[in-house]
Amino acid sequence: MAQVEKQPTLGDRLQSLPKWMLYLILIVVMSIPLVFMKGCKVPGKPEESTVDLFYKLMTLPEGSTVLLSSDWTNSTAGESAGQFDSLMRILMRKNIKVCIFTSADPQAPQVARDELMVLNEERKKEGDKPYEQWNDYLILGYFPNAEGTLNAIRSNVRKAFDGKKKLPPGETVPRDVFLSPVLQNIKRVEDFQMVLVITASKTSNITIERLSDKLSADGKLGMMVTGVMGPETQVYYASGQLVGLSKGLKGVFELEQMMAKGLNNPDFATAEIRSEKYKDTPIQGFPGKQNEGKGTKYYPTLHFALGLLILAVIIGNIGMAMSRRQGVEK
Amino acid sequence: MNLFLQAQPSFWNAPSYSGELWIKLLLGLAVGVGLIFALMAAPVQVRRPIVAAVTFISGLFYVLFYFWPNPVQRQDGQLPRDFVENVGFQLEDAVQVVVPITNILTALLLGLGIYSLFRIHFRKVSKMQRDWGFSLVLLGSMFAMIIFGYWDWITTHGPNEVLMESRSNWGFANYGRDLLFNGILQQMDAAMFSLIAFFILSAAYRAFRVRSVEATIMLLTALIMMLSLMGAVTYFVDTKMLGDPRPDSMLFNFTLTEVAKWIKDTFQTSSLRGIDFGVGIGALAMGLRLWLSLERQGAGA
Repeated sequence: MAQVEKQPTLGDRLQSLPKWMLYLILIVVMSIPLVFMKGCKVPGKPEESTVDLFYKLMTLPEGSTVLLSSDWTNSTAGESAGQFDSLMRILMRKNIKVCIFTSADPQAPQVARDELMVLNEERKKEGDKPYEQWNDYLILGYFPNAEGTLNAIRSNVRKAFDGKKKLPPGETVPRDVFLSPVLQNIKRVEDFQMVLVITASKTSNITIERLSDKLSADGKLGMMVTGVMGPETQVYYASGQLVGLSKGLKGVFELEQMMAKGLNNPDFATAEIRSEKYKDTPIQGFPGKQNEGKGTKYYPTLHFALGLLILAVIIGNIGMAMSRRQGVEK
Repeated sequence: MNLFLQAQPSFWNAPSYSGELWIKLLLGLAVGVGLIFALMAAPVQVRRPIVAAVTFISGLFYVLFYFWPNPVQRQDGQLPRDFVENVGFQLEDAVQVVVPITNILTALLLGLGIYSLFRIHFRKVSKMQRDWGFSLVLLGSMFAMIIFGYWDWITTHGPNEVLMESRSNWGFANYGRDLLFNGILQQMDAAMFSLIAFFILSAAYRAFRVRSVEATIMLLTALIMMLSLMGAVTYFVDTKMLGDPRPDSMLFNFTLTEVAKWIKDTFQTSSLRGIDFGVGIGALAMGLRLWLSLERQGAGA
């Protein structure tokens, strides 16, 4: 006897949209803000962890040195490049020297170097002095084995970076990096005004394990991680081991917002971005400069992506509810 | 004499960029490769105790380093007062020697990986095995990147280092490296990572269903967290709907930002700490098994 094929109901259909249709919808929806909504500004309220990071960065003494573990490549550039840009913009404008290294990926130093080149072009356009290798920043390169490298930094920075040489401007022979203005006053890891990690990998945990006891008590350890890593890194912010934390694209957007509008500026009562914690110390930001970058540019796209995700889950559940009701009625 | 003081000239070091250093590096590489081949050729009965002993000694260093009291605020030239401090000082000094050794070993492993990749794919191409075309592309890409990478490195290091920071001074090698690295590799890397968005959407659509009370709670929590990531939504709810309440008011606790913060601080953080403890204990157990060579595969049979 021939079997009668059951016709799928609307509920069934809503539950089983084909993959290609979902993928096509995603492409179309993501393209809308990227193509048609350029320059669209979305409002937002910065999270406490980002506010803390911004405040710490903005109150670093001018001319001091920070150590930056730049552990990202283009695979997470959507978030990490924005984090790197906003961080470097703040440090450059505050004339803070930066020592960059990586222990995560051999590609990372080149990616940081290229990004710095773009930021230097931007500084030239704004009429500022470009950041100079040796005098303002150093890229020490890739150190394989993050655990060992961070142990070495913890024990003795001078020995950890021993033998590294860079070319001072106007000279022809590379010199020891510890003779440079960036590292000349650094003997121990505690001598850095701050240690920052921009990461898309486990180096966040390794840094906490190796350096937290030396830095956290003085509020010198901050991180910028991808959105996916946000929850696991939040644990260290909640425990006070991190002085500040920027998470994913939202974190970048929040930083850029504060760079443009300041914090509690001009005062707590009338400020556009407020924080009760720092109500007595308004931070002006950098009005008139290029503050909006990848965070502001791509934040609307994140809205569309999350909105679509929520909608897809709702449609799937409506389909399930309809199928169940039809089953009960039968 | 402090055996761990690298600045002290000895047989084990040489001035940077000197011919002596290059000779020592090549000799070290030859000895290292020779030892690996010798170990590979040795019978299992001989190899296993050697691997176990080296593993144990290597692990012992880090066990001592973590559990032995660390020197606090040690000054340059400070002498230890007793045995405990003496060992602590020695361990701290030794880290600077052990770390370069582990770094060199990691780099050697990278080289070993490249060699293995080359051997497998070269054989595939030379014998025209199935999908040999892909292997050819892999080898071609690998060598193109190596050649342009080193060529670019040579031109950008040395007297022209600062000059090369400006694109206007770039030559063929630099543009070649830029095309391969930034133009192709990095973009493909980003494209691969972007594919996750498609899988996340598809998986969330199919799996996120209100089938039980637990699933409903999880769905609602996820919804709040996702909405809290959308600045426009938090702005609308907190400012327009609730009137931007002051932090000391009752209503403030019901803003989307505060609810999301409460979920993060109360549930998410504690759950993740629990998971971290579990993972930590598992890693400790696994680490002990590896250190004591109780893992048969690890002992390198």
